[in-house]
Amino acid sequence: MTHPIRESELIETRRHFFGRAATGIGSAALASLMNPTLFADSPAPVPGGIGGLAGLPHFAAKAKRVIYLFMSGAPSQLDMWDYKPGMKDWYDKDLPDSVRNGQRITTMTSGQKRFPIAPSIFKFNQHGDNGTHVSELLPHTAKMIDDLAVIKTVHTEAINHDPAITYIQTGSQLPGRPSTGAWFSYGLGSMNQNLPAFVVLHSTVNGGFGGQALYSRLWGSGFLSTRHQGVSLRSSGDPVLFLSNPDGMTVPMRRRMLDELSKLNQERFDAVGDPEIQSRIAQYEMAYRMQTSVPELTDISGESKETLEMYGPDVSKPGTFAANCLLARRMAERGVRFTQVFIRQWDQHGNLPNDIRRQCGIIDQPCYALVQDLKQRGMLEDTLVIWGGEFGRTIYCQGGLTKENYGRDHHPRCYTKWMAGAGIKGGTVYGKTDEFSYNIEENPVHIHDLNATILQQLGVDHERLTYRHQGRDFRLTDVHGKVVTGILS
Amino acid sequence: MIIRNHLPALYFAVCIAHPAFAGSDDVNFSRDILPLLSNNCFSCHGPDEANRESGLRLDKPDSAKAKLESGHVAIIPGDSADSELFRRLISTDADIQMPPHDSGKSLNKSQIALIQKWIDGGAEWSGHWAFQPPVRPVVPAAVEDWQQHNPIDNFIHAKLKTRNLSPESPAAKETLIRRATLDLTGLPATIPQVDAYLADASEQAFERVVDRLLDSQKYGEHMGRIWLDAARYGDTHGLHLDNERSIWPYRDWVISAFNSNQPFDQFTVEQIAGDLLPDPTLRQQVATGFNRCNVTTSEGGSIDDEYYMRYAVDRVETTSTVWLGLTAGCAACHDHKFDPLTQKEFYQLFSYYFSLTEKAMDGNALLPPPAVKVPTGTQLADKQKYTQQLADTDQQIAAILADFKYVDPKPTEPLGELSSEEFVWIDDNTPPGAMLAGDGTPPWQFVEGPDHPVHSGTRSHTRTGAGLNQHFFTAATEPLVVGENSKLFAWVFIDPNNKPKTLQLQFNDGSWEHRATWGDDLAFAAGQDSETNRGMGPLPEAGAWARLEVNAEKVGLQPGAKINGWAFTQFDGTVHWDNAGIISESLSTEQKRSQFAWEQFRKSVKAPTLSEAIQKSLDIESATRTDEQNQQIATYFLQHVHPDSQTLLAEPLQQKTKLQQQLDDIEKAIPSTLVMQDLPEPRQAYVLERGQYTEKREAVSSAVPTWLAPPVPNAPENRLGLAQWLVQSEHPLTSRVTVNRFWQQFLGTGLVKTSEDFGLQGEQPSHPELLDWLAVDFVESGWDVKHFLKQIMMSATYQQSSNVNPEKVAIDPDNRLLARGPRFRLDAEVIRDQALAVSGLLIETIGGKSVKPYQPAGLWKPVGFGGSNTATFVQDKGDKLFRRSMYTFWKRTVPPPAMATFDAPDRETCQVRRARTNTPLQALVLLNDVQYVEAARKFAEQVMMNGGTEPGARVVYAFRSVLSRLPTETEQQSLSNLYEEYLSGFRGDPEAATKLLAAGESSRNEELDSPELAAWSMVTHVLLNLSETVTRE
Repeated sequence: MTHPIRESELIETRRHFFGRAATGIGSAALASLMNPTLFADSPAPVPGGIGGLAGLPHFAAKAKRVIYLFMSGAPSQLDMWDYKPGMKDWYDKDLPDSVRNGQRITTMTSGQKRFPIAPSIFKFNQHGDNGTHVSELLPHTAKMIDDLAVIKTVHTEAINHDPAITYIQTGSQLPGRPSTGAWFSYGLGSMNQNLPAFVVLHSTVNGGFGGQALYSRLWGSGFLSTRHQGVSLRSSGDPVLFLSNPDGMTVPMRRRMLDELSKLNQERFDAVGDPEIQSRIAQYEMAYRMQTSVPELTDISGESKETLEMYGPDVSKPGTFAANCLLARRMAERGVRFTQVFIRQWDQHGNLPNDIRRQCGIIDQPCYALVQDLKQRGMLEDTLVIWGGEFGRTIYCQGGLTKENYGRDHHPRCYTKWMAGAGIKGGTVYGKTDEFSYNIEENPVHIHDLNATILQQLGVDHERLTYRHQGRDFRLTDVHGKVVTGILS
Repeated sequence: MIIRNHLPALYFAVCIAHPAFAGSDDVNFSRDILPLLSNNCFSCHGPDEANRESGLRLDKPDSAKAKLESGHVAIIPGDSADSELFRRLISTDADIQMPPHDSGKSLNKSQIALIQKWIDGGAEWSGHWAFQPPVRPVVPAAVEDWQQHNPIDNFIHAKLKTRNLSPESPAAKETLIRRATLDLTGLPATIPQVDAYLADASEQAFERVVDRLLDSQKYGEHMGRIWLDAARYGDTHGLHLDNERSIWPYRDWVISAFNSNQPFDQFTVEQIAGDLLPDPTLRQQVATGFNRCNVTTSEGGSIDDEYYMRYAVDRVETTSTVWLGLTAGCAACHDHKFDPLTQKEFYQLFSYYFSLTEKAMDGNALLPPPAVKVPTGTQLADKQKYTQQLADTDQQIAAILADFKYVDPKPTEPLGELSSEEFVWIDDNTPPGAMLAGDGTPPWQFVEGPDHPVHSGTRSHTRTGAGLNQHFFTAATEPLVVGENSKLFAWVFIDPNNKPKTLQLQFNDGSWEHRATWGDDLAFAAGQDSETNRGMGPLPEAGAWARLEVNAEKVGLQPGAKINGWAFTQFDGTVHWDNAGIISESLSTEQKRSQFAWEQFRKSVKAPTLSEAIQKSLDIESATRTDEQNQQIATYFLQHVHPDSQTLLAEPLQQKTKLQQQLDDIEKAIPSTLVMQDLPEPRQAYVLERGQYTEKREAVSSAVPTWLAPPVPNAPENRLGLAQWLVQSEHPLTSRVTVNRFWQQFLGTGLVKTSEDFGLQGEQPSHPELLDWLAVDFVESGWDVKHFLKQIMMSATYQQSSNVNPEKVAIDPDNRLLARGPRFRLDAEVIRDQALAVSGLLIETIGGKSVKPYQPAGLWKPVGFGGSNTATFVQDKGDKLFRRSMYTFWKRTVPPPAMATFDAPDRETCQVRRARTNTPLQALVLLNDVQYVEAARKFAEQVMMNGGTEPGARVVYAFRSVLSRLPTETEQQSLSNLYEEYLSGFRGDPEAATKLLAAGESSRNEELDSPELAAWSMVTHVLLNLSETVTRE
């Protein structure tokens, strides 16, 4: 019982509302409510998991949970991570045909007469034990480079946002498959019976939303049971949909109603024997517990000043990326299996330098803070943190090119993501791209490989987590995927 | 010898043996052996030739029993010991063992024993049961002492008997009428309906109920709503922008098809190929919307060929799931691994759907063609009326002109100088019909002088923004028509203290690809100096009004183009805009008195407003025109050009304009819907290697897989031929798959549980003979759906009690044998509709445009694309809040949350079977969603107004309204106590009552005492949350 004050208030207001005469029934109901097994809103996660598949994890898991920082719109690897100093001499020269080699490009630039090279205007400095080059856009992230495995050779086949983000999130470019988090919930179950196993957070940019669309299929359950779909934790209104009691309904009034419901349902169960009724009684009790556990989760008033400062000033504005990163850590503590934080507006076809400065300004410090916060609490070793988008961006310019300004089109053939924690070898730079960051030279990592690796760290053999649908055993990684052992410690 | 494969372990062994189906001692190849082979062996030794190992093929008897290259024989009938297949099944040597360890598959001992028994018994072969046409089986003898109403019961009882189970007694009448009413109409039975049934002691009482329900218009809504899951119906395109689409007339067609009991074969043909029927009716065309419901895109950068391919694949998969119960999609990349469908056959089916006139990019339009208009009866009548009045007016005009006796004053004088005419389109207001949009709220900011610069009139519109931002409108009802040498202009005032980097004007004539840019090229389509974005030079001076002007033709707007939208775009800065429009050349008043002058003018400057016929006549030299053409031109001139005759005609012309406007308004109000239409010449389809659109292989044309059913003689090689093939009476799948889906709807689970998969990997039917009997009966009845459903409902099996008996659970946990009636949670839509019905809120109008009832704020915005017309949710008002849930606007990337929580599918892909979960989020919906809180208080009003005056009577009324039955004594007592407690609570805290009674937008009956009403609301809210309420018992 973590809310003694709330409970005594409950008794008091109950007396106030129902009067002394009613306390007989009220107390009886309260007694059952005080039963710790019925009211276990402890933030302590349940070890193992509730409701996962038998036989899982397949082997000892490095990660208990995952936090996925998703950069929707596709950030430019060229300006943040994939350092190509040689490109300076190529300014406004055409990308050699031998590099593009006839590969398909989007119809946004396929009509361009030229493909002039736009070198990044940003400075790169060396950081960490291995002297890894990181852009000046990411001063905070650069400080923790020794915690990260930077993969420069992630690639995909999709060249547009909708299919590409659907692909990386569900393993298929077309709607209809379960999302990554839904697979985790299905396979591994939940670690906290009062919170969903899979939570999604959407971040504001400069106080608003905009950018490429997201779709509920990205956290949907596809053909898996809908109980595995991601639950959006919202920054305004009810954090979880329909969480708050209606106006005029106090907690004791609601409690009394639930007691009555439970009693009537139990009576019906006695008459007809349908076990679904008992399950429904339990679900109503869990809903009631969520009404406490969710607000407790989103209430950051107990966080120390140092912690808040680490995430930066935005942390106190609900819905910002910084606030969401802190929430992600709080959820990790409470046993949420998979937390996915989305931030949009990385789709920089034009005016890239300005826009990417804004975006990096938003994400850099919170990313750093999240990893460090987890580390300080000893949680990084069993929390997997992933950063990145759905594809990369082109070395050639889209639209007008000047020394200061340029835009970049979609580039699926190579881009950068990083991972940290939970058995990931920090300080690794994995894979090598050509001098144009156009083609991969060494160690390609397909998005299926990436997903296979995430599953692996959770103790799941990606080839054995399957669900039979339409006569076929489906997997997150379809019929592909190879664990990227080169980034594992 | 069989070589070990190194395929990744794709398939997980799943034991399909089900306790319910065990029983018979004989090994049945199709039932017992084929599924084992399919599940464990076909991945490498099945129909897929490309991945076949060691030349061994186990899906065909000849090859399974033939000598292999290795000299072994996989199956030697009568001799399991020497059969290589069996030797390897029992081997423990990892190099020999089958299935290989790394495949993740294995057979258990009893499965291996079954195979041994089968081989030793002669290894008899037969095809997969579902691919053989059904034959009407003999109805089993009745089990004595058990009540049989019709043959369904004989089949069910015969099986129960073999398992030592017995059926339940009939359900209570109250339970039965609630069950039947929910099942057939998706709504609860009313108290008078229940009373009438209880009072009817005749043997036909229940039949009368069923007949009444089948005749109810709500039946079509309910059946249609379920069909729409299969049709993947939605109100948005589904991909990327997810803009609105108009296809609801198809949804209404489905409702009326069920209500008129259209035979299922015809229902099928019209949806797949209604447009290809001889002289198709409008309704038949609307029906083809089925295959326009698939998700589409218009994402910038997409490649057309990729999407032509994807749309056709989706249509094949959907057709296949709905009518064939086959997972054809597997064969898009390779020959099917389990079913005999080859990749080539897949692309032959694909070819039927590959020749549509639709474009790959939907243009984010409401009505991406092909589409048809679907007028209502009233619209048709009005149209006729106004057309007649228009003809009368024309006669009146003709009479006046006959009296005018026009003579050209200057019949030979060459055309002199022309004057320029400026037409201002946007000034203090935007043009009629304009739909305003843009960044910020409100997107258009009008400001007045003297605090702000204004160029003309009383106000200007302004914008301040960082980066690229704009305001714009589309859909102006009177478009701006571009003429010869037309120039578009707009006045602009740049704030000297906050200068923009870029200004851009964009014009929409159906597309926005007409832009002119001043200043740095940072706006949309930057860097493309073409007519889609014309560089116009530097920005005008700041701090003063300046006129921006661009030749229409320079931005790709040819004479005749009609501009319906205009965008004011900037990059950074603060900008004021005012007074925008078009300049065109025109005649002076004096010149307009001469027909000759006008003709010269129109020959050089072609007027886009002229009808094609007039323009054509004008282009002919006057000497060579026919009399008719001359007459036509003269009439036009006097009606539209000559100032004096125009004055005479003022009144009738005004009348004519009004009538034309009315006709135009009707035309615009007529809803349209997406339909199918084929190209005159089919687009060539190919086998696509690994399903990649770029990897074309063998060219194929449309054809059906004839191994399943023979082609229909003389059937056309188009979708109509496909549809005819599906509904021919010998087809082994269409009828079985269809009756199974209905069975699933009414009995909770299909006879084949995997109602989407009747292939080798699908589950075996629990009652194969019953399935065949029903399928044959259905076809022989003329595919009569109501007849079929009535047959189910009249069976004792359907009517038995659904109470759960633990002893039966031990034998048949999933109740597949139906030793009791099925019970399951209601669908999302039914739960909401039920609450609306009992609270008296339900609006029973059928059909029409989809509506937006309550949903929590901020669901669309955080995920929507800024430019999408569904990025912002605007809730409807009034009646639209209380329509049946099937009319709720379905935004596919963010489906209505309360529906999704109760397992409604997202409608992005075809779905024929819904999940039924039981979650805490569902509890939160029913407890806290305003829809239910409001329903509870309106329900309470019903209780107080119609339930008598005594609390006891009111409890009974409330209880019966939702559950049809009477409360038990304890239920009655505890609900009465609950009421009293809440009543005294609300008496002491009247403010809480007021707050609670404010939920929702429907008005409150103020005559009812507030604490009493609030207390009853709590009681009704409890009732709406009962497990029994959301369950069909």
